[in-house]
Amino acid sequence: MKKRLSVVSFAAAAAVALAGFAAVPAHAAGGEIVIWADGQRGPNLQKLMSQKNDWVAGYSFKIVSYSSFDALKAAFDNATEKSGPDIILAANDWVPTAAKAGKLAPVTLTPKVKEQFTAGQLFDLSYKGKLYGLPVDVNNVGMIYNAKLVKSAPKSFGDMVDYYLANKASLKAGLCVAGGGMSWGALGVSTALGAYPYKIKDDGSVDSADPMNATTVAANVSKYLLTSDGKSNGFFPATDTGCKDNFIAGKVPFAIIGNWEWKDYLAKGFAMNLSPVPGTASGTYAPSFGSVSGALLTTYAAKHGVEAGAKTALFNIFGSRTGARMYQKIEGRPAASKDGASFSPTAGQKGFAKVAGITSLPQIGAILNGDKTSYWDALPSFWTAVLVDGKAPATEAAKLAAIYKANLAKGISDL
Amino acid sequence: MLVSVFRGKFALVLKLIFLAATSAILGLLAQHALAQGEFAIAIFLIFAILSINFVYLTSKSIPLKFFLPGLLFLLAFVVGPILYTLAMSGFQYQTGNILSKPEAIEQLIKTGVAQDPDQTIFDVTIGKNKAGEISILYLNTTTNVYAISTEKTRTIEPASGVKMNDFDVPSSSPNFTALTTDELGSLDASIPKLKFFYDGEYYLGLEGFQAASLYKQAIRYDEAKDQFVDLATGDIYKDNGRGNFANVNNKEQFLGSVGWRAPIWFEHYTKLFTEKRLRAPFISVFLWTISFAGLSVLTTFALGLLLALALNKAIRGRRIYRSILILPYAMPSVMSILIWGGMFDTEFGAINNLLGTHIAWFQNAAFARAAVILVNLWLGFPYFYLVASGALQAIPSELSEAAAIDGASPRQIFNKITLPLLLKILSPLLIASFAYNFNNFNLIYLLTGGGPIAQLDGDIAGGTDILISYTYKIAFNEGNSDLGLASAISVIIFLLVASISLYGLKKSKVLEDFA
Repeated sequence: MKKRLSVVSFAAAAAVALAGFAAVPAHAAGGEIVIWADGQRGPNLQKLMSQKNDWVAGYSFKIVSYSSFDALKAAFDNATEKSGPDIILAANDWVPTAAKAGKLAPVTLTPKVKEQFTAGQLFDLSYKGKLYGLPVDVNNVGMIYNAKLVKSAPKSFGDMVDYYLANKASLKAGLCVAGGGMSWGALGVSTALGAYPYKIKDDGSVDSADPMNATTVAANVSKYLLTSDGKSNGFFPATDTGCKDNFIAGKVPFAIIGNWEWKDYLAKGFAMNLSPVPGTASGTYAPSFGSVSGALLTTYAAKHGVEAGAKTALFNIFGSRTGARMYQKIEGRPAASKDGASFSPTAGQKGFAKVAGITSLPQIGAILNGDKTSYWDALPSFWTAVLVDGKAPATEAAKLAAIYKANLAKGISDL
Repeated sequence: MLVSVFRGKFALVLKLIFLAATSAILGLLAQHALAQGEFAIAIFLIFAILSINFVYLTSKSIPLKFFLPGLLFLLAFVVGPILYTLAMSGFQYQTGNILSKPEAIEQLIKTGVAQDPDQTIFDVTIGKNKAGEISILYLNTTTNVYAISTEKTRTIEPASGVKMNDFDVPSSSPNFTALTTDELGSLDASIPKLKFFYDGEYYLGLEGFQAASLYKQAIRYDEAKDQFVDLATGDIYKDNGRGNFANVNNKEQFLGSVGWRAPIWFEHYTKLFTEKRLRAPFISVFLWTISFAGLSVLTTFALGLLLALALNKAIRGRRIYRSILILPYAMPSVMSILIWGGMFDTEFGAINNLLGTHIAWFQNAAFARAAVILVNLWLGFPYFYLVASGALQAIPSELSEAAAIDGASPRQIFNKITLPLLLKILSPLLIASFAYNFNNFNLIYLLTGGGPIAQLDGDIAGGTDILISYTYKIAFNEGNSDLGLASAISVIIFLLVASISLYGLKKSKVLEDFA
């Protein structure tokens, strides 16, 4: 009896298991384009899809949102042929790594789509001469000043330092970084002092003949950021901790903020007193990063049998003025197109677009990610060395220059 | 009553339902694994299905009925990852060497095309010609001639018969019928691969459904010789045995942007000890890991024991003190670490405010290490307070009473009787705590991120990095992650921790007692 039951049970287990096999869908339904995005862009993209459902006739869209950019990156790093997206809204500096991992597929733009963007924006999403997606929006920072403390925008870096030193007793710092961290956000400060990771020529190509001059940088650091005994004068903290709170509390007159956080300042009653970080010479401005986020085509699209649909979606949504306008009306960031500022929906975004228009440096991952030491690690280390550890600016600037030079050489050979 | 539920036909039916459900779930997982080409996982799952059914439907081995779930989990989540890590440590597995070789070759061929110098691109409509072949209709803007291209032919289409759509793109002609959107969707898997004839040298490749560019193949793969030839320069790229096709005349020049995982056997292990760039940080991180784990155990044990001794006597409010002392243990450590991180902040931290100092705790290696030890003391002392309290109860009071009658001082009683007995009881826990702190990733990652790092000096390891956080950085570095090297370090960590654990087990005689 027991033996018979065992046989029956085997049969039952096998039947249930086979039923399970049959219940699994082999693939997602045909004609579905899967787009991955972060927690802010994803829901907004979903709204865009509900406003117009024929971006690519015959195709539906599935938007998958991740809680943060880091979560999105982690998911994409671990994506497989089956789970991966057809399109991903990603940072431009993901392009080299993702292309090397074989996760991105190149796209070629029609003249009509190409003319929407600047050469720099397309360059941001290219690796080894191949373009992997379309620019979506611009991420940049601007320097805001507290009009209750200073009446007008500073004309030079020295003006800001002078104001701070004259009012030091009531201030926590002179200029701090509230948005983008001590490498991405702080580029404007370092370029104001002459520390460029690279320069861009008028034709949009990288200038490899004019690397950072360590002597100039060391002299500027000593002049503007240090006291006569080589210690920090307190004008520029080496950390971004507390910057936002202190600026809002009126304890810091100048702060570098990101365009994505403008509404927080607006809510606190600040007006659009925004400019790039001024240079050391009066009337000049220092470049900050003006990078684009991109809608990138993945190699998974071809594996899922929707490559043509996904490419068409890229062109129709992000490569058309209609699509970009509709999307940025919801998203509220400066659109990545030549005339993005003209249809940015808020004064804040127009202000940031204006800052980007005055001076910005494209974010080239192949150079910045470096070979041994990346720009992202080197610049914060430089701030710590000269402002916290009190190391000699000349020595540290020389080390920084050597890293930038090596990264520039490696990046150019890699581009 | 309860026993009857677990016996007889009812129990058998329950068992069968459970087995059927388990088999079905594992079967589903196996099918997913097969679909994704994960054959090792699929084989394991099928093995699990068979073994579960065999063990629970027969009476061949009663002990296995108890051990099997644990054994299967052990295989899946301990032995499997160890073997995988061990295998990966022998591969060139890093950014740029992620794919398998056939996948990399496929991508190199697909992306190894060149646009014409003018970067010509036409608006096209996809359809069928009179013969029913998939073709494209377009206006050749360079010659101002309408044409229909199939894979093998290109025919000129008289302008008079061509109809344009709303966007001024040719959409139909007497010899051409556009595909419907449904037809286009159903052909999406095949049409991006089509190469429409243009002029013999160049072909038209589709860019979505609405455009096509002029391309020509820039490289050719010779399968027999396993090499690529650059059709423009004649350069030959051969498998360099390290996961890339390299130019035979310039071994540093790789073809394309993708490579593959290639076996390099023990190179990562030898590199760790022969390459100065890796050896120096590895040794310093290793020494700090040992120091960190040792100091953590020492300080947490010392404070825990001190408090246990203090509260071992009947004093007023002892229960309240005990409850308060356990609080740091009850609070999630992630929260505690982040709060401590804020308290150590240079500008706004409570510690600098209280001390009236301006110490950059996390920017200086010595201060950062002190902070790490201090925070770990806060997190760890309640555990040793609890176990020491329990152990003190287990030491017969007669021993210390007898010693006191013989004239021993309290210090002598502690040094000669209490501490030796406590150490005998607690030594396995001390060793386990050492092994735990050896891999205390959370604390380091959340408190200091392994920093400070003197990146300007070319350092790749931070002042507070322990082996596991150092490995994490190598494995998941933003720009260039090296999973192969990280796997090799993981294997070394495994060997170290396994040795410590084995020593602990031996010391506590758990294995002998079990035997």
